[in-house]
Amino acid sequence: MIPELGYFSLTLAMVLSVLLCIFPLWGAHTGNLRLMRAAPSLAIGQFVFVLLSFAALVYASLTDDFTVSYVAYHSSSTLPWYYKITSTWGGHEGAILLWLVMQAGWTAVVAMRSQSLPWVLRARVLGVLGFLGVGFMLYTLLMSSPFERLLPYFPVEGRDLNPLLQDPGMIIHPPLLYMGYVGLSVSFSFAIAALLTGKLDNTWAKWSRPWTMTAWGFLTLGITIGSWWAYSELGWGGWWFWDPVENASLMPWLVASALLHSLSTTEKRGVFKSWTVLLAIAAFSLSLLGTFIVRSGIIVSVHAFASDPNRGMFILAFLAIVVGGGLSLYALRVSQVKSEGRYKFASREVALWLNNIFLVVATLIVLLGTLLPMIHKELGLGSISIGEPFFNKMFAILLVPFAILMGMGPLLRWKQNKWSMLQNKFALSAVVSLVATAAWLYSSYDVIAPITFIATTLAVWIVVTTLVDLAAKVTIHKTLGEGFKRLGLSYWAMVLGHVGLAFVIAGVTLTSAYSVERDVSMKPGDTVALSEYQYSFDGVKSIRGANYSGHAGVVTVLKNDKQVTVLHAEKRRYDIGMQFMTEAAVDAGFTRDLYLALGEQLSQGAWSLRIYHKPYVRWMWLGGILISLAGFLVLGDKRYRQKSTKQEASA
Amino acid sequence: MNRKLLALAPLLVFVLLCVFLYQGLFANPRELQTGRIGQAMPAFNLPDLMDESKRWTDSDLKGEVYLLNVWGTWCPTCLAELGYLTELREQGVKIVGLYYEQGYDPDFDGQFDINALRDDVTSMLNRAGDPYQFNILDLKRTLALDLGVSGAPETFLVDKQGTILLHHTGDINPRVWQAKFAPLMQELQ
Amino acid sequence: MRLVIFLASLLITFSAFAEQDKYQFDDKEQAVRFSELTKELRCPKCQNQNIADSDAVVAKDLRDKVLTLVKDGKSKDEVIDYMIDRYGYFVHYDPPVTPATLVLWVLPVLIVVLGFGFIVLRQRKASVKQTWTEQDEALLAKLIEQNQRQEQS
Repeated sequence: MIPELGYFSLTLAMVLSVLLCIFPLWGAHTGNLRLMRAAPSLAIGQFVFVLLSFAALVYASLTDDFTVSYVAYHSSSTLPWYYKITSTWGGHEGAILLWLVMQAGWTAVVAMRSQSLPWVLRARVLGVLGFLGVGFMLYTLLMSSPFERLLPYFPVEGRDLNPLLQDPGMIIHPPLLYMGYVGLSVSFSFAIAALLTGKLDNTWAKWSRPWTMTAWGFLTLGITIGSWWAYSELGWGGWWFWDPVENASLMPWLVASALLHSLSTTEKRGVFKSWTVLLAIAAFSLSLLGTFIVRSGIIVSVHAFASDPNRGMFILAFLAIVVGGGLSLYALRVSQVKSEGRYKFASREVALWLNNIFLVVATLIVLLGTLLPMIHKELGLGSISIGEPFFNKMFAILLVPFAILMGMGPLLRWKQNKWSMLQNKFALSAVVSLVATAAWLYSSYDVIAPITFIATTLAVWIVVTTLVDLAAKVTIHKTLGEGFKRLGLSYWAMVLGHVGLAFVIAGVTLTSAYSVERDVSMKPGDTVALSEYQYSFDGVKSIRGANYSGHAGVVTVLKNDKQVTVLHAEKRRYDIGMQFMTEAAVDAGFTRDLYLALGEQLSQGAWSLRIYHKPYVRWMWLGGILISLAGFLVLGDKRYRQKSTKQEASA
Repeated sequence: MNRKLLALAPLLVFVLLCVFLYQGLFANPRELQTGRIGQAMPAFNLPDLMDESKRWTDSDLKGEVYLLNVWGTWCPTCLAELGYLTELREQGVKIVGLYYEQGYDPDFDGQFDINALRDDVTSMLNRAGDPYQFNILDLKRTLALDLGVSGAPETFLVDKQGTILLHHTGDINPRVWQAKFAPLMQELQ
Repeated sequence: MRLVIFLASLLITFSAFAEQDKYQFDDKEQAVRFSELTKELRCPKCQNQNIADSDAVVAKDLRDKVLTLVKDGKSKDEVIDYMIDRYGYFVHYDPPVTPATLVLWVLPVLIVVLGFGFIVLRQRKASVKQTWTEQDEALLAKLIEQNQRQEQS
């Protein structure tokens, strides 16, 4: 009964979202305030019913209702309760339902926190969000309902959640990522609403900015957690593989990063207006494109999502309508827009424009690299692969101008700068960065490749210039405390974001350059050395978990004859499905990770083991977390919290 | 005018992209082609699957148009295509089997039971049909690697001069045969 | 004599460690080449994995072949070409440069050029519209400075 209620509830939500799509848009078009005023309550009602529907699925999963096909395929009675909840987004149908919850949730929050917007704009934003909701709900109800029953013959036990997904990463990674993807639909809706209204002034940029920042913060965190999860779960120490699914999340992130910078330029200076709108459309379009790539199975990816051409067709059609519609509107309206601001070459405007160019080029590289193999084959030219060597090379090249600019940007002022006034600061920062990097690297490593040195210097450069700028801005006031207080939250967000990226750059560079590994076969009592650590194999013991059994290889790690830690690397066999899973053992550290994976049993009591020494690998995720904090920090900014009643009066 | 065209550009790019994405829905991204198309059959000297004393080389195969079918008893898709391949044999198509053994690991030499494998092969071919003139045993998968084989079933079409004309991954069924193989076969005859 | 003993002891420790390693190499350079190659070559049967990380039979065969070739002293490019001859360009994660793949490099460069071009063009347009004198420049600089002081305080 409950699953049917879930389906019914979703149907009701769909009805509400159809109304949410029609009433406010029609009302805004005809100037009917009553119709427009219906939007917020419709949005909130839609969210409530979607949430009820999701709760029904969670309930079915928690109560082991294997008459529900989705639960039978993605859960089992032996799963711990938290993985039963997780299993509701462990499969395609449930994942889309989670997406819907997020979509409806964002819509409801927009409805509640947009009182200060003029009704015409507010109604249009919610109307566009309603339209997006209709599309996804239609898809769920027609093509991928998670509430279908297996009656009258249903299994007594479920097929279990894929062991790969039984990980804390799975609990938080998809919800965070979807929050990001779906959050970008808010930026999209603001852009479309602004285009419909025909007023592309800096006010829409101001309203759109906090939403975009938040969505981008979630997306950053989602990608970071995903990378960390792959690292800890897959058993070969990889954290990024340029897989189509990873690329699908990176593209919207890159464009959203460009959008943030562009939004601030448009807001503050009234320039790049049409460009900013285009980015807002592109960011969400790439979210949708990513979904299509992942869910349609058109590209071979390591993530084996169920693929179905009919579903692919639906998503493609939806993609074509949303993005095609958005871009058509853009083509119609944007040629009337004129930029107002004037600026010289040495100005923050130009720096931010170049930042946008580099981020868009990075997106383009990822997009081409992801889709070209498919197009290449369709043109009858044969199969090619585009992966790590290509992307790494291109991103390494792009990093140089991007990071140099990133260090300079914050020190530049709007409109124009006297180069002579900046020269000294830049020269000093460059010298400090070079010296600091040299001291750091030469004290730790014997061999330093030029590329490693350059990339590390760039990371240090970003930190140094940020600090120089911070110092200059703080010391301008009488006391330091006063100086710190006067800096707005969005300035601190900039500092966090940039320093975070510096950590990512340093982490990626150093872990790529100095990671070492050994693939060994060991008998109990054997010791091998890797870097400055000795790994002594104590043997293998049996383990038993809630829904798996297996072995754990016990390895004592020594450094200078002192015990550092004892690692337990597991090889699990899950009771249902009998799949083997490697559960790597990691000793995490600020400057290095020790990573151990247990392989198969060899002859005469020997086991194969993979040992990795990964310097600075944590810095990547630490950096990712710092960057995402930048996104959330802006929420506290007074300028966005205090709903300016002025705006309403003037509108 | 210029400005309007510029504003239209994103839409045009997107429409083009959609065309490719649409086509992609009907393509199989996992289908692969060997790098050996248009080249001669690589040289080999391998035993017969059923009789170790009998050996086959690339020159034994020259002079006739034939299909080289990579298969194994461990592979369910191979079992599925045996029936249609047998039909093709009855129509006069020459099919040579290249036996691809997954269970053999060169690191553990000497533990492999070839007689059990022969029993498996005989029973499977008796049950589902035997399309093969003979089978080549590629225990170490060296010829498979030279041909760019990644698994089973896979089928190569080779002409009289020993040139590889076609490489198909996946099973052969009437549809695949009509679309890919039949036109080339007609030309060769 | 001392030196010989020292060298011998070095050799012993080296071989003692090497004995446990799954892959044996003559020198470090070979080990690095092997590791690079197995990460750049794609497993043709798998979803999307390199041959170093995959457990598939064909990935192991390719790994063993790479090992043999590397120990035979083949260069990185020679091994890659060997694999491309057999498995096509699909097997290498670095795409070949052909007229069709040129777009991978040309388009990014083009966008950068256009991006810079846009700025330069704007500057030129702006400077054509008005004749900007030295006095204007000085006045503007002064105004901006005042403005910025206000912004920061």
